[in-house]
Amino acid sequence: MNPAAKLVELTIDGTAVSVPQGTTIFDAARTHGIPIPTLCHQQNENPVGVCRVCVVDIGQRVYAASCIRQAEQGMTVKTNTAPVVGVRHTLVELLMSDHPSPCARQQHSGDCELERLAEQAGIQQPRFARRTTPRGHDDSSLAIAVDHEACILCDRCIRGCDDIRNNWVLARRGKGYQAGIAFDNNLPMGGSSCVSCGECMVSCPTGALTNRSAVGTKLEGGALDIGALLGLPIFKNVSGTFLELNSHAIVERKFRAGEIICREGDFGATAFYLVDGKVEVYLSSPIAHVKTEGSAKGFLSKLRSMLQSREQDERTEESSRVSIPIDAPVDLPYDHPIAELGPGDLFGEMTCMSYYPRSATVRAKTDCTMLEMLRNVLDIMQRNKTFREQLDRTYRQRALDSHLRSVPVLASLTPDFIDHLRNRVELLRFTPGQVICTQGEPADSFYLVRLGFVKVAQSRPGGELVLAYLARGSYFAEMSLLTGTPHMATCSALDHVEVVRVPGEDFQVMLDRFPEIRRKLEEAAAEHMEQNRQRVTKVADVTVDQFLNQGLMEAQSLLILDLDRCTRCDQCVRACADAHDGVSRLIRDGLRFDRYLVATSCRQCRDPLCMVGCPVGSIRRRNTLEVIIEDWCIGCGQCANNCPYGNINMHPFPVELDDPAYPGRRMAGVKVKATSCDLCLDHAEPSCVYACPHDAAHRVNPLEFFGGLLKRQTVAKSGK
Amino acid sequence: MLRRIRTTKKLAKRMDLQYFTQPHPFRSWRLWLSVLVPVVAVVWFAALRAHGQKVYSSGPLSKSHAVFAKRCDVCHVTTLGFFRAKVSDSACLKCHDAPAHQIDRVAFTPACGSCHLEHKGSLRLASTADSSCTQCHADLHTRTGSPQYVREISDFDNEHPEFAVLRPGGKDPGQVKLNHYAHLRPNLPGPDGPVQMDCQDCHRLTGMEGNWPYAAQTMPPLKPVTAGASADMRPSRSRDYMSPILYATQCAGCHVKDLQFDKRFEQSAPHDKPEVVQAFLLQKYSEYFASHPGALSEPVAPERILPGKFKLPLPVPHNRQEWMDQQVMLADRLLFDKGCKLCHVMIETNAPLPTVAPSSIPARWLLHADFSHNSHRLLTCVACHNRTPESRETADILLPGVASCRSCHQERGPKQDAASGNCSECHSYHDWKREQPIKGKYLIPQLQAAR
Amino acid sequence: MRIDETHRKWFIGSLVGLAVAVVVYVPYSRSSPQGAGGGTTMGLIYGSVAFAFMIFAGLLGARKKVPIWRLGRAQAWMRGHLWLGFVSFPLIVLHSGFHFGVGLTKALMWLFAVVFVSGIVGAVLQHFMPRITTQRIPLETIYEQIGRVRLQLMEEAISLVDEAYALLHGDVSQANEQQRAASASAGTMGGLTVASGMQVDEEASAELKQFFQGEIQPFLAQSGSHGHVLADRNRAQAMFRQLRTLLPPNLHSTVDDLENICEEKREIDQQARYHRVLHGWLLVHIPASYALLILGAVHAVMALRY
Repeated sequence: MNPAAKLVELTIDGTAVSVPQGTTIFDAARTHGIPIPTLCHQQNENPVGVCRVCVVDIGQRVYAASCIRQAEQGMTVKTNTAPVVGVRHTLVELLMSDHPSPCARQQHSGDCELERLAEQAGIQQPRFARRTTPRGHDDSSLAIAVDHEACILCDRCIRGCDDIRNNWVLARRGKGYQAGIAFDNNLPMGGSSCVSCGECMVSCPTGALTNRSAVGTKLEGGALDIGALLGLPIFKNVSGTFLELNSHAIVERKFRAGEIICREGDFGATAFYLVDGKVEVYLSSPIAHVKTEGSAKGFLSKLRSMLQSREQDERTEESSRVSIPIDAPVDLPYDHPIAELGPGDLFGEMTCMSYYPRSATVRAKTDCTMLEMLRNVLDIMQRNKTFREQLDRTYRQRALDSHLRSVPVLASLTPDFIDHLRNRVELLRFTPGQVICTQGEPADSFYLVRLGFVKVAQSRPGGELVLAYLARGSYFAEMSLLTGTPHMATCSALDHVEVVRVPGEDFQVMLDRFPEIRRKLEEAAAEHMEQNRQRVTKVADVTVDQFLNQGLMEAQSLLILDLDRCTRCDQCVRACADAHDGVSRLIRDGLRFDRYLVATSCRQCRDPLCMVGCPVGSIRRRNTLEVIIEDWCIGCGQCANNCPYGNINMHPFPVELDDPAYPGRRMAGVKVKATSCDLCLDHAEPSCVYACPHDAAHRVNPLEFFGGLLKRQTVAKSGK
Repeated sequence: MLRRIRTTKKLAKRMDLQYFTQPHPFRSWRLWLSVLVPVVAVVWFAALRAHGQKVYSSGPLSKSHAVFAKRCDVCHVTTLGFFRAKVSDSACLKCHDAPAHQIDRVAFTPACGSCHLEHKGSLRLASTADSSCTQCHADLHTRTGSPQYVREISDFDNEHPEFAVLRPGGKDPGQVKLNHYAHLRPNLPGPDGPVQMDCQDCHRLTGMEGNWPYAAQTMPPLKPVTAGASADMRPSRSRDYMSPILYATQCAGCHVKDLQFDKRFEQSAPHDKPEVVQAFLLQKYSEYFASHPGALSEPVAPERILPGKFKLPLPVPHNRQEWMDQQVMLADRLLFDKGCKLCHVMIETNAPLPTVAPSSIPARWLLHADFSHNSHRLLTCVACHNRTPESRETADILLPGVASCRSCHQERGPKQDAASGNCSECHSYHDWKREQPIKGKYLIPQLQAAR
Repeated sequence: MRIDETHRKWFIGSLVGLAVAVVVYVPYSRSSPQGAGGGTTMGLIYGSVAFAFMIFAGLLGARKKVPIWRLGRAQAWMRGHLWLGFVSFPLIVLHSGFHFGVGLTKALMWLFAVVFVSGIVGAVLQHFMPRITTQRIPLETIYEQIGRVRLQLMEEAISLVDEAYALLHGDVSQANEQQRAASASAGTMGGLTVASGMQVDEEASAELKQFFQGEIQPFLAQSGSHGHVLADRNRAQAMFRQLRTLLPPNLHSTVDDLENICEEKREIDQQARYHRVLHGWLLVHIPASYALLILGAVHAVMALRY
C-alpha cells in the first residue's frame, strides 16, 4: 500500500473506514473485517466482476460489484440489506440452476464455493428450470478434469493461466448458452498446448476444473517436500498448490547399486525420473523367439519350436534390425541389448501413460535417486516447458541418431547429416485419437514414431480400413513425400504418442543425398502400395451378417475345418503341437460358418489389434502380411489379451536365466512367451493342414473361399 | 434374448491348452487295447507252440512223410543253426535213391523239391506238375546239342508225338506167327469141342492168370519164354501189364496136336528147342524099336511123308540104325517143317538141326512210359486195340495210338470230363535202373520225437 | 475320410489292380496241380503284395505319430490306407486260395476279416457321422474337453442361480456384484436391470431352488444324461416353460440362460455319444490290425523260412 496515496473515507455498513484511493469496496470491507461473499474474485488475480455475487448497495440506481468498484470519498456502502441479500440470493439461485449439485469438488472435498454460498443462503432447489443442452466434459488431460457443466464462467482459470502463468492457453469461447472456457482453439485440454501447471485448477471455485487423482493409490516411498519439488527445474512454473494436491502421486525413491527398479513384462502405472545416479536398462528375457524350424532338411524335416537364441537364428528378414524399441529415451542395440541412463532421463512413459507392461528391466548401476510418478504428475512434467526443452535437447543429442538408425532404411545416414537434422527435427505429442496427418491432405513432413502407437487407416466407402499400427521405430508419410501425392491414409494417435517430425524439405535433401535410402524407400513404398491395392480389392462388397459378426471379413487367412469331413480326430492339433514343441497353437473349437469350423488359430487380421500395446514392438506384420512375434517378446501377455479371437496364447518355455543369488551362475527357469500360428513358414503348407488325413483342414482366404457362398447367401436373402 | 453369447475367444478360453497331452479314457482304451490285443495274440501263438500244436501250417505233409511231421530238420537240414526253407537233395536222398534220367545227356538236373512239392497234403508227391517237365522238354537241349527224341513237347493234347512204333515204318518185331483174326473166329476147334475165343483167353494181367482154358493137360509148364525182355525193362507193379503168352498155358490146349509127330505115339513132342526135341525123338524111337520087334517091316504112315520133300518110296530100313534114322528124319521133317513152323520161324543152317528164331514179342511196347491195363479194365480190349479183330498179320501193330489216349486224356480240356493229361500220368522222370539200395539209419522213436 | 470324386484315380487303380489279380488268378489256379495256395510262387506274390499293402495301411498309424514329417500329405496316406487296405483283403483271399487254413492262418484270416469289416464300417461311419454331428450339434466342442466344459457350464449355472436368488431377495448391490462376477467368469453378456425395492419373493425363490437343485444340477453333474428328464429336449422345454410362469418376469432371462446351458449340456452329451460311435470302431480296428500285422509278420517269417 502506497503510504503516499491519498486516502478516501467512506461508510460500510455504518462503519466509517478509510482506505487509500483506488482500493475496491471489496478490499475496503475485507480489510475492516466486513465479509462480502464472492465467486469470481480471487486475491491474486485482477478483478473482472463477472459473477456479481459481491454486489453492494452504494446508494446508486444499481448495485455495484464490490470487487471492481473503487471506494470513493463519502460513499455509503451497505453490504447486508435485505434487498442486497435478496439480489445475491437470486444470483446464487440462478447460478445453482446451471450447476450440477453436488459437483465434483463438492463431492470430493465439500468446498465448492458456489454450493457453500447456496448452502448459506439456504437454497435447496433453484426455482429456475435447468438448461437442457449439456455442456460436456473434457477428460483428455491426465492431470485435470474439466466439467463444463459445473463452470460458472467466473474466468478465474483464464486469468490464472494468462495473467499469472503467462501460458495463454485458456480463454472464453462462444456466446450465451454456448459460452464456456476453451483451451487454445477450443481443443480438448489434453490435446492443447496446456503445460499442466495446475494454476487454473487451483483457481477454480467450483468443480469445473478438478484434480484427477490418478488411481487414488499412494505411492510408497519418501514423501516429498513441495518446496524441494518446486525447486527442480522440471517443475518450474507449476502451481505449488497443484503439486500439493498431487503429492501422493509422486515420490522419491532411492536405490542402491544393483537393485532392480522394474522388470520387463510387469504391469505398472508409474514413470521414473532419474534425479541422480545411473541405471542400466536391459532385456533379461533371452533374445530368442519361439521359432519353428525344420530339424532336418528335405521331405523328412520335422518341425520344432524352441527358443532360438540370437546366435542360432538369423532370420533373413530381420537381419537389418539394429535396435529394439523400449520405453525409454534410448533404444537397445539388438546385438547387445543394454543401455545406460543418467540424471535427467525419464523412463516408463508408456507404462505410465497407457498402462503398457514394462518393456525392459532397469537396474541401478550406481546408488541413485529417482522420482516415481503417476500419470497425472508425469503429464505435468511432460507438459512442463522446461522439461520439454530438456527432453527435446536430450533427444536430439542422444536418441536421435540411434532412433534414426534403428529404422532399417535409414541406417546408412551419415553423422553429419544427422547433425544437420538434430536442430531441424521437432518432437510432437499427440493424445489418443488425435490426428497426425489426414488422408488426402498434402504431405509436408516425415514422421518417426518415438512413443506409443499410430494407427494408419484409410477411409473408404465400406468404412475405415486399418492398414497398420505403427509402433516405436516405425515411420510414416514417406510415400507421399516420395511421390509428392497427398497422404494416402489418415494417421492418428492410438494412445499417447510422440513422433519426431522431419520437415519435408530435409527429407527431400536426405533423399537426394542418399540415393540408397531413396531406392529402399521406393521399394518399400511400392510394396506397400501393392499390398494396399490388393487389400482394397480383396475387401469385396459382399456383406453377410454372420460373416461380419464373426470378424471373418477382417481375416486374411482362416484355418477352417470342413465339418462334413472332419472326424474330430484331433490330428491337426497334435500336428501343431508336434510342430511347436508340444504346444498347440491351434484350438479346435470356435464358431462355425456354414459347414466350416473356423478354428482358433491366427487369422492375420486386417486390423491386427494384437499389435497394439506391445511394449517392445515384437509383434508385427511381415511384409507378406503374416502376424509374427519377434524374438524379443518379453512375455507380458498384452497381445494375447488384445486378440479378440483367443488366437494368441502365452506358453511357458524352459530357459536358463541368471541366478540372482549367485551372479554369473545360470539357473533353470521358465519364461513365458506369446505364441501364435506361424503358418509353419518353413514349409509350403501349415502342419495342421498337412496332417489332416480327411482333407478337412484348409488354410483359406475367407473372401476367396467363402466368396461363392456369400454371394449365394446374399442372393438368397435378396430373393426372399 | 439370450445373454450367453458365444465368441471364438470365449470358446477358446474354455479349453485347456494342453488337453491333448492328458490321457482321455477313449484314447487310453485305444492305447491299451492296441497293446493288449497284439500281446494276447502273441501269447496265444506262443501257447499254441508250447502245446505242440502246429501253429505254423506250411500245409500238411504228404502221408508218406507225415510220420516225421514234427521233425522238420529231417528234411530242412539246419545250416549254421538256421532252418532252410529249401530242402536240399541230400535230405531226400537219405531215403530215396531216385536217379535222375539221362544224367549224361541233359544240361540241367532239377532239384527234388522243385518237382515234388511237399506240404500240399495227401496229394501224391510223385505227381509233378507238367511245368517241371516242360521246363526242359518244351525246348530240349542236350549236351550234344540234339535231342534223342522230340525237341519240343510242351503239352500232351497237341504236341505229344505218336508212339515210336506206330510211326510210319514201324512193325511188330514178334517172330511168333499169330493171326488174331483167325483166333477170334467162331467155332474154332478147341480141345473139347468148338470154342469162341476172346482176348482174356490168352491176355491176362500179371498176377491174374488163374486157370487157363487152353493149358496143356499133361505137359507141365516149361520155363517161361521171356524173349524180348531186355535190360531196359523197368519194374512195374503187377496188374499193370499183360502176363507174357506162354505156349504151355495159352497155346498148348489147342496146339498140342500140332506137335504130334507119329501116330504111334500119343505124346506130342515137347515145346522146346530143336536139340531137346531131337533127343526126345531119339529116346522115343529107341524105346519103340525095343518093344516092337517087327518095326523094321512096318510101313511108313503116309501122313508123315510131307509132299515134295523126298522121293518115294523111301528106302527100306535094314537095321535098327537105318530105321531109327529114317523115323527120326521123318519126325523131324514133320515137326520142323510143319508143326513148329506153324508158329515159329525156323532157320535152316548147315547144322543138322534148324534153329528157332527168337519170339521177340515185346513184353512192353512203351519203354519210356508206364501204362496200367488194370486202370483201364472197365474198357473192352478192342475199345483201344480196335484193329485186333481184323488183324491177320503177325507184323500188325495192334498198340493203340496216342490219339486213342487223347480220346479220354486231356491236359487242358474241360476238367470234369477228361482224364488227366499230365506228363507224370505216364512218364517217370527217374532212372530207376540205377537205383541203389538204401540203408536206413533211424529208429522209430527218433522219427517220431516231438522236437 | 469322405470318398468323393477326388478318389477316382485310387478307385480305378485299385479296381484295375484287383481285376488283374483275379484275371491272373484264374489260369494260375487252374494250372497249379495242387490248386491255388500260399506256397506257390503266385500265392507268395499275392501274399507278399497284400502284406505290403497291409503294412502300408498300418503305417498310417505310424505316420500319424509324426504328423509333421514331410512324408507326403496325410490325406494321401489316408487314401492309400483306404484303397490299398481294401484291395489287400481280396488279395489275401486269393493268396490263400479261398482256404482258411488251420491254426495261425485261420486266426490270421479271422483277424483280417475283423479288421477289414471294421475298416469298412469305419469308412462308412466317417461318411455320414461327421455330417450328422455337424447338423445336430451346433454347440459342439472338443470331445476330450467335454468334461471340462461341463464343469464350466455347471459353474456358470450356479452363479446364474445365485444371482437370481440375490435378485429375488432384493439385494441389489450383491446381485450386481455377482452378476458382474458371473459375466466375467462365465462369459455372460450384459446385465440385469435391477429394480430397487423389490419384494422378497419366497415362493419364487423356493421354486427356482427346487428346480435347480432337483433337476438342473443333477443333470449337469451327470456326465452322460441317459434317462434324465432334461435330456429330452421337448420335456426340458416344457419344464422351463413352466418354470417361467412361476418366476417373476425379470428372472426370465436367467431362465433362458439356464435353458441354454442345459441345451448345451444336452448337445455335448449327444456329441460324446456320436463321437463314440464315430470313433468306436477304431477300438476294434486298430488293436486287431496291430495283432494282424504282428501275426502276419510271424506267418511271413515262418513261411519264408520253411
